[in-house]
Amino acid sequence: MRRTFSVRSQSWRGWIVYALMGLVFVIFVVRLFNLQILQGETWTLQAEDNRTETISIPPQRGIIYDRNGYLLARNIASYNIVITPAHLPDDQADIERIYRELSALSGMPTGFPLTDESIEAAKLLRACAPGPGIAQWVALGESNAPYDPVPVQCNVSEEVAMTVRERAVEWPGVDIAIEPVRDYPTGTLTANLIGFLGPIPAVFSDYYEELGFDLERDKLGYSGVELAMDEVLLGVPGRRVIEVDVAGQELRNLEPPVASVPGNNVVMTIDTRLQLAAEAALRTEIDSWNAYYGFNRISSGVVIAMNPQTGEILAMVQYPSYENNRLARIIPEYYYRQLVEDPRHPLLNAAISAEFPPGSVFKLSTATGALNEGVVTLSQVIEAPGELLLTERYSPTDPGNVRPFRDWIFDDNPAGFGTIDFLHCIAYSSNVCFYKLGGGYPGEIEEGLGILRLQQYARALGYDRVSGIELPGEASGLIPDPTWKRINRGENWSTGDTYIASVGQGYVLSTPLQVMLSGATIANDGIAVQPTVIREILDGEGNVLELYWNPFAHTVTSLPLEPESYQISPFVPSIRWDITTDPIIEDFLCVDGYCEPTGLFKIVEPWVVESVQRGMRLAVTEPLGTLNRDFSFQNYPIAVAGKTGTAEYCDDVALAQNRCSFGNWPTHSWTMAYAPYDNPEVIIVAFLYNGGEGGVVAAPVVRLVMDAYFEIRAIDIAQGATGP
Amino acid sequence: MFRSSYWRHFDFWLLGMVILSMVFGIAMIRSAIAGNETLAELPSRQITWASLGFVVILIVAGVDYRFWGGAVKWMYFAIVLFLLLLYFIGGATFGAVRWIETGLVSIQPTELAKIVVILALAAYFARYYDEPRTWFWLLRSLLIAGGIAGFIYIQPNLSNVIVILVIWGAMAWISGLEWRQLIVILLVGLVLGVVAFFFFIEDYQQARIVTFLFPDPDARHGATYNVLQALTALGSGGWAGRGYGLGTQTQLRFMKVRHTDFIFSAIGEEFGFIGAVLVIAMIGFIIYRCLRAARLARDPLGTLISYGVAILIFFQAAVNIAVNLNLIPVTGLPLPFISYGGSGLLSLMIGIGLVESVVMRHKPLDF
Repeated sequence: MRRTFSVRSQSWRGWIVYALMGLVFVIFVVRLFNLQILQGETWTLQAEDNRTETISIPPQRGIIYDRNGYLLARNIASYNIVITPAHLPDDQADIERIYRELSALSGMPTGFPLTDESIEAAKLLRACAPGPGIAQWVALGESNAPYDPVPVQCNVSEEVAMTVRERAVEWPGVDIAIEPVRDYPTGTLTANLIGFLGPIPAVFSDYYEELGFDLERDKLGYSGVELAMDEVLLGVPGRRVIEVDVAGQELRNLEPPVASVPGNNVVMTIDTRLQLAAEAALRTEIDSWNAYYGFNRISSGVVIAMNPQTGEILAMVQYPSYENNRLARIIPEYYYRQLVEDPRHPLLNAAISAEFPPGSVFKLSTATGALNEGVVTLSQVIEAPGELLLTERYSPTDPGNVRPFRDWIFDDNPAGFGTIDFLHCIAYSSNVCFYKLGGGYPGEIEEGLGILRLQQYARALGYDRVSGIELPGEASGLIPDPTWKRINRGENWSTGDTYIASVGQGYVLSTPLQVMLSGATIANDGIAVQPTVIREILDGEGNVLELYWNPFAHTVTSLPLEPESYQISPFVPSIRWDITTDPIIEDFLCVDGYCEPTGLFKIVEPWVVESVQRGMRLAVTEPLGTLNRDFSFQNYPIAVAGKTGTAEYCDDVALAQNRCSFGNWPTHSWTMAYAPYDNPEVIIVAFLYNGGEGGVVAAPVVRLVMDAYFEIRAIDIAQGATGP
Repeated sequence: MFRSSYWRHFDFWLLGMVILSMVFGIAMIRSAIAGNETLAELPSRQITWASLGFVVILIVAGVDYRFWGGAVKWMYFAIVLFLLLLYFIGGATFGAVRWIETGLVSIQPTELAKIVVILALAAYFARYYDEPRTWFWLLRSLLIAGGIAGFIYIQPNLSNVIVILVIWGAMAWISGLEWRQLIVILLVGLVLGVVAFFFFIEDYQQARIVTFLFPDPDARHGATYNVLQALTALGSGGWAGRGYGLGTQTQLRFMKVRHTDFIFSAIGEEFGFIGAVLVIAMIGFIIYRCLRAARLARDPLGTLISYGVAILIFFQAAVNIAVNLNLIPVTGLPLPFISYGGSGLLSLMIGIGLVESVVMRHKPLDF
């Protein structure tokens, strides 16, 4: 069949095509309307986001001074050689010439030949890590953002930096970037107090990004005052909103730039001169004893000095410490690992974070309690033989085991101290006497103080709680009681536990700061002052700010938000409590060693505090007193009072040497002393790990620091200073 | 042939709209350069091409389209030779061999090939206008289209193969393709499409289709990123656009190939919804004038030539705009008359010239 065909006769074919075309155009218009009108806002935001970039302007971190204005932490310029890939010349030969000349100046390898492998290797490293050459760093930066300067060599000398700047015309694209780096002029000496900085941790990244900080660039305090006062020191970052093109080239400011506000400056209570003297005294003592023993017996030590009337910490040193300048630019992995793995924990501030048995320095608590509770009177005489046989019972019906309890004098004189009164119990630090006061002794002390009442007095002197000092990582120590032992040791409290707790052994733990605070409370007639390391905080123009520290939240506020908050700037002495007026001692009724709370609270009688002071004074003045020795305070020109401690302990090392047994324990060495006796202006505590007898090893350190303190006072007075 | 009486029916509306589109395109290319030094010469080059194109329209229109219909055999062989030449000596641009570098300009024979296909198919369908629509009739027309499409396929340049196949299908349809033939073509096309996707097309083509279907929202470069930037440009235009030379996506170069493939997005950003719809309307008007010529033509050859040119313009514009609107995967087809590209513009001008030639001679001369 033959068919004829005409387009005109079959015009429906054309109409189908026109309809399809029309449909396509309608779809386009609808889609356009949807994209441009309905979704327009979203896409506009996206376009704005593409072209705008917010640049954070770093604030200058606050400076830290000691009480005399001596610099403890500052910012110094560090010079980095940077290359902006987009500004390098076009000719490869020119680029190679620049790299060669730069390499000759700075010693940085040129990085040629530039292989893919070498670029891949550089990708794995942080900026400026040794290894890759100039070409590798530039190649990496060029592929990411050609208009962003790439650091190719960090921390070059000022001379190299100036030379690079002079040759800017010959070397297009090469420049010097100045990076502020924290510098600690006193380094190791104050590292435990000042701390160091580190990158913003991931958990806080949202918070600090919100505040405008640059997560890659800005740093936070990681320990010490740098951490505690971080919010004071940080300042407020400034901000620039700029327009960039696709290559990241900055075109113009979209908003007026906001300048950064520098951080506030912190003035500490520390006297660097005393800090230096204390460190020297501690190091000399440790070194000479270790030389004498022929091995490193004394592994670590702490010295703290404070004004007991105001709470200002004047010195706080520890051995070993660490070099915080080595952590300033970056935290080197090997050094950090070395510090963390050191069993002596140099990164911890041992004065506030390390807990040790206090030993005999704790007897101040027992003495205050025994006298205040009427366990003993001042006129009562106590038999103090060299060895005491006491019965250890775990319950009232327990027939008990008889155990010998020895005084420290036993090895020299098995007869002991003989018959002594309460004050000489303190002066001689007689263990036997304090066993009797704490746990009772049939026929002499019928009802001992008991652990529950001892706990009350220990807490009143500052044990078993953090002090709230403006430093991170403070430990609370431990004053045990029967409930604690049941929960943590699964055992009943025994009479023996009370005896040894009375002399600061057994489960009793305290930080060196707590030991010093207990002495300070006695020295200051029962007033417990707030220890502080901050004297004042100044803004950029030198105005003193009024600020408060919240010791629980670890925050600085401009108002005392919590009852525990205390003023840190401008400095005023803060009183935590006064044991002679604040009824903070819970009253117990004790019968046959078992005590029940009566629900009442009481104070410590002022005469009791004064008696304990006299006991501490006798330790210096009595011929047999624990501090009346050649290298401590024999014939010292200033009236000193104090207390020594020789605390038995057991650690891994001692256990391995099989020394954790009766009569064979290794001992920590403690001494705490204050002066002048009548109007104390300094209290010093020294602690030496495995030091041995407190009066022999720790006391000379306290003596040397005391010497230094009064020497510095004399110099200051000669120069016109007033007041302590 | 240059008898003045023919020019009485010259379609000045069509020419006017083509010139308007080109002028607008040149202005837009100038904006889209956005300070890129290597692209700085493009507007003046496009002006040269457009002027050349204007002359080409007049020359082609002046010659009777039946002459071109008669000479199409020679043109067909010439273009096949050209494509072969390209296969052996052509320079590689963007991974595909599509250009012949002459001393002065690069010529893209594929663009010319599309016009030759239209002419050849029009001549074929017109010649067998009164024959029955047998399978043989259809197969022969497919061989004509395929003879050129095959050489384009090996470049490889899949989008222009599809353009040629669409022209073939549309011209066959208008020449009286039967329903069963249409259904078979569609079925075979579907099966071949699926088979081709898995076995025959290049990896980059496959990847484009995959990224279109399953885009990676975090891509910082590549097809997804380019499309996202183009959508951002288009979407941020709003009603009236951000103003000529003021679109941040275009001027700060976040959008790639903004003077060719994505020029429609640049228009959308700087002239908004109104501008984009006007551009669609301008191209729609050009297509309308071509279809009008097809309707008025005095013989099937004239109808089919005009119709083929209309389909070419429509399909290229539709694909380009659909890519810009993220309705289909990215392909390299330019926006007719507006995108930068010399050969493409010149070929379209030849097409317009042919349409003018048809419309000029649509009725017997009245002396």
